[in-house]
Amino acid sequence: MSETSFPVNDLLRRKLQTGLTVASLTLCVALTVFLLLFGENIGFEISQVAEGKLTSGFSIIFSQFITFIGLLIVVTGAVIVSFMVFVMMSQRVKDIGLMRATGCPNDLIFGYFMTELLIVTFVSCFLGVVFGILADYASISLFSFTGFQILQKPVNFWLILLIFVLFFVLAVIFGVKPILDVTKVEPAKAISPTYHYGLSKEPGFRVISKSSFTVKIALRSLFRRKSATIRIILCLATVFTLVTVAIAGGIIADQTTKSWVEKAIGRDMILIAHKNMSDQYKLLLSKFHGAKEDLQFNYTEQEYLVPESLLNQLKTISSIDVDARLVVEGHVREVPGEIIDSETATIISVGDDREGESLIVGVEPEKVLSEWFVEGEPLKESETLEAVVGESLAQKMFSKPLNQYLMVFDRIFNVTGVCMDPINNGNVTYVPLDVLQNVTGILKPNIVMVRVDSVNRAEVLEQIRTTVDGVDSEFRVFELNEALEENVGFLGYVWSTLMFLPLFSLIAASLCLIGYVVLAIAEQSRELGVLRALGIKPKTVTKTVSEQSFIVLLSSFVAGVPIGIILTLLILVPEPVVTSHTILEIAGWLLVALVVMFVSSLYPAVKFARKPILEIMNKP
Amino acid sequence: MTMDKSVVSASLLCKIYQINDINIEALKDVNLKVEKGEFIGISGPSGAGKTTLLNIIGGIDRPTSGKIIVFGHDLSVEDEDFLADFRCNNVGFVFQSYNLVSTLSVSENIAFPMEWARKPEDYIENRVEELLRIVGLEHRADHFSFQLSGGEQQRVAFARALANDPPLLLVDEPTGNLDVKTGLKIVQILRKLKDDGKTIIVATHDERITRLADQKLYLEDGKLVSLDE
Repeated sequence: MSETSFPVNDLLRRKLQTGLTVASLTLCVALTVFLLLFGENIGFEISQVAEGKLTSGFSIIFSQFITFIGLLIVVTGAVIVSFMVFVMMSQRVKDIGLMRATGCPNDLIFGYFMTELLIVTFVSCFLGVVFGILADYASISLFSFTGFQILQKPVNFWLILLIFVLFFVLAVIFGVKPILDVTKVEPAKAISPTYHYGLSKEPGFRVISKSSFTVKIALRSLFRRKSATIRIILCLATVFTLVTVAIAGGIIADQTTKSWVEKAIGRDMILIAHKNMSDQYKLLLSKFHGAKEDLQFNYTEQEYLVPESLLNQLKTISSIDVDARLVVEGHVREVPGEIIDSETATIISVGDDREGESLIVGVEPEKVLSEWFVEGEPLKESETLEAVVGESLAQKMFSKPLNQYLMVFDRIFNVTGVCMDPINNGNVTYVPLDVLQNVTGILKPNIVMVRVDSVNRAEVLEQIRTTVDGVDSEFRVFELNEALEENVGFLGYVWSTLMFLPLFSLIAASLCLIGYVVLAIAEQSRELGVLRALGIKPKTVTKTVSEQSFIVLLSSFVAGVPIGIILTLLILVPEPVVTSHTILEIAGWLLVALVVMFVSSLYPAVKFARKPILEIMNKP
Repeated sequence: MTMDKSVVSASLLCKIYQINDINIEALKDVNLKVEKGEFIGISGPSGAGKTTLLNIIGGIDRPTSGKIIVFGHDLSVEDEDFLADFRCNNVGFVFQSYNLVSTLSVSENIAFPMEWARKPEDYIENRVEELLRIVGLEHRADHFSFQLSGGEQQRVAFARALANDPPLLLVDEPTGNLDVKTGLKIVQILRKLKDDGKTIIVATHDERITRLADQKLYLEDGKLVSLDE
């Protein structure tokens, strides 16, 4: 027998086992490839601010999330690889013992099984890369299909090569150890059930009571196969940690980021402005998901300014709140600040003199209708030189924004807060309206935000439209819900696409569990055959094996989920939005994950139980 | 259910195994009647079909054609659930290769058929002690099966087969793997069971066992003939 024909034949004759191993490893590789390519394509590469899409704060949340999930995926991949190789080798222990007993030299045995490992690993990594690229293309196409245009970047082959090599090396490292362990075992020991099953302790006799008979059989079997049981629990616990972080982290971050956008834009908010100004403002809001604003737009055109009479008439309409704003563009410059160094207790300067363009929005602090998520303090008074900057601007131009100043229109503003705002992708500065009017000389606002607090919303809206038309027919009334829904929808799509990650992990884990069940059945097949010969029904065999899977699954779930929740809390967004609905949603998805994995593990048990007794008992 | 009072009634029993494209006839038109309390000894060369015949009588395997009626039940047409109950309550099987469950101790191996038959705990404990005493393995009660010698494993297999006190005992080559002295212990157990009136069918080459038989049968190339005639 040649050194390659044995491994190839061995792998082909164990079709299900080989298939499961290849499928699990392929999924691990595919998941990582998909994750990195997908992240790159939708514009939030790790540690980089997306150009033209999403604000920096959102990008960082996505990057952190993806980076963390990526790390977990690599860890999970390593654990799954290790486990699947363990499963592969466990089924060969007896064969290796027999091969050694018949005089087959160790290096030849090592060569055979190393070749098997290399074949399985190479095929899996190759397929994983292919499927990962295809999954990335499919996701981008799905985005395009749903209306969001995301450019498909050319595949980064160096990145693909890196993943391929990483997983190949990882699989080989984890795979070699069990092979070495098995080839070092004495032949007699390898053949003995003591080694094969990991049985070490002589049990005391206790009659199994009538109640939960199959559970006790399942438990007894699990306890007596400690080695395999501990490994599968560790493997699945890692997967459940990943799934929990992905599901819980994803859902909470999804709801929190949506909440930020919703608070910044405002639900049921109405925009009143000149038609050109309205269009520009909506474009500024849409930059969040990729639209481009008119760069030549002149915000200070006289015709865009809101007439005093319109403002006065709006104020007479009951049950509405009016928030007049002046939106301009300005050249901003970072001004260094001072902090006390905690180690030396000396005052040190922070910041530089970076500069750039920003959208400058003047608001009346006491009347502002938006409720931004603000780190630091929001604007409080009308006539002070204070500013709240958008987080993209804070990221781009400031070292410690809350300890620094900002210069615009030759005035220096104290930066009191950093807000999450999708407008102009977070490249925005909010200052008091009075101050902005003074420094620009533009004494009127150019947009008005209105919130209707009435049950007769349609009626009030009509009244507003009539009022606006009566003052200036060039002015328009727009409901901003559409822009809000687009932005929230975009976030939703991004998160829901990221939710493919736990789905992939779940499939990989299910395959892993099936692998374990196959291993458990293979180890117990003769015994289960004997039990059937003694009068146990096929459905009882299915029940016993299923209960073994369930016990393993539940133990992994109990171990993995709390770790996942702790990690989620560690990496989570600041001030997360966690409602009872969020908790129910997370619990529901985790339960689905548990059920999916359990159901998938039933297949080998059902298939096995249907086999004729003699076929089971005569299995080598 | 038929009204035949025989414990076992087989007529024109055929079993064909298909391995790849080759048909192997393990049993050819086998006819057999076994009355209650009878001891049947079946001998014949290896591969003659002895184990196949026992498997079919015990409801572990099904015939390709012909009828096999055991305790009035046509086993060739019953479903797997029925056969499972049938095996549990009516048949004790001693396999040639013992087939003890390696992750269970000696006591647990013996107790298992009773646990499965939902016998009371006290009864099981007492019965396990009694059977261990009968086969002389009280001191091995908590050992795993693979820690026993071949003869000891065979005796555990007997104890397990007798656990539910089945009316029919099927024994496949009980002394085939044992030395003369150890084999004698098995012969003694079989003699005791025969004296107790148990219906026993044994496939064996061992003269000491065939001498105990009420009917001596010979199976060669799947055909069963009586040596008594």
